[in-house]
Amino acid sequence: MGSHGNNLFGAVSSSVEAVTRPFHCDAISQQIRTFIQMRTNLKVVDNSGAKRVMCIQAKSGKYGAKLGDTIVGSVKEAQPRGKVKKGDVVYGVVVRAAMKKGRSDGSEVQFDDNAIVLVNNKGELIGTRVFGPVPHELRKKKHLKILALAEHIV
Amino acid sequence: MRLEKCWFCSSTIYPGHGIQFVRNDAKYVSVRSDFLGEFEENVSLLRSKIQEHIFRFCRSKCHKNFKMKRNPRKVKWTKAYRRLHGKDMTQDSTFELERKRNRPERYDRNMAEQTLKAIPLITKIRHHRLQKHITDRFVLPLQFVVCWTMKRFSSLINATPIFDRHKPGKKKELERDNKELEQDINMLPKKVISKVETLKMKVQVIPPQTQENLMEE
Repeated sequence: MGSHGNNLFGAVSSSVEAVTRPFHCDAISQQIRTFIQMRTNLKVVDNSGAKRVMCIQAKSGKYGAKLGDTIVGSVKEAQPRGKVKKGDVVYGVVVRAAMKKGRSDGSEVQFDDNAIVLVNNKGELIGTRVFGPVPHELRKKKHLKILALAEHIV
Repeated sequence: MRLEKCWFCSSTIYPGHGIQFVRNDAKYVSVRSDFLGEFEENVSLLRSKIQEHIFRFCRSKCHKNFKMKRNPRKVKWTKAYRRLHGKDMTQDSTFELERKRNRPERYDRNMAEQTLKAIPLITKIRHHRLQKHITDRFVLPLQFVVCWTMKRFSSLINATPIFDRHKPGKKKELERDNKELEQDINMLPKKVISKVETLKMKVQVIPPQTQENLMEE
């Protein structure tokens, strides 16, 4: 567990699995993306003060959280003057996931990274701004405030 | 519903197919306020709009090539390569119909009807023009090659008997030629004639000698 903890700081996201690397390809570009589970590091894309959150539990889903799901997380990295401090236990809504999400028209969407927006246990946003693209899967999950604040809806 | 183009191979992506990859590079693109005038309330404000790169792929082949960081302009089977290297038609008036228009058109029944009628016609024309472009690529150089060879080797072509095989009266020509040859030989001085005869003799004698040699061995 100790070495696992050392690896996790900052960069590595355990929702990404390394696969047998094809000889002619870059290893990073051929990874199979999986669910957001315990120990997954996620980027925080609102102005609540937190920078990185480590997932403690996925609120729904047997294998983990997907795009649009809520998770419980522990703040690992935070800005000095923010609404949230390091070590706080927070809820978050996954707004970007590296794992493909199927849509009702048959197409699939995937993003470049895993990102969440911090939320309280009632579902209200802690921050007041949201950065980056956001999928319209949130509409079905009733996270309309996030959609309203989003810069770009995919 | 909109038919998209695959980022890698430029084929159409029909609904239900393919993968969309959203990369969040926040490139701020300012949109002019008068452009938004129709459906924006506050016209005076300049609004900045982020342009993320959304890559659409028609199938996993294109997606995987993208992940391998291949440049479609260098991959031979993509439209990007073909257009860049002049294999396919690039500039044509038929492409105007498919140009993306960012300003939505107000619905007009007549216009919609006419557009629907025009679409198959235009695709047919474009197809024909494309085919012509491709055949011209082969046909024109080929014609040139054929003309050049005909000119260059015209003397040879006329001389070889193969081309005259079915010509009537060829046999008579040959006989005449043989007669002329014999007459010419007779015209020569006697020493030369004897040499020619010995040559003929030599040629006849050689085969039985080799046979005898073989027997000895």
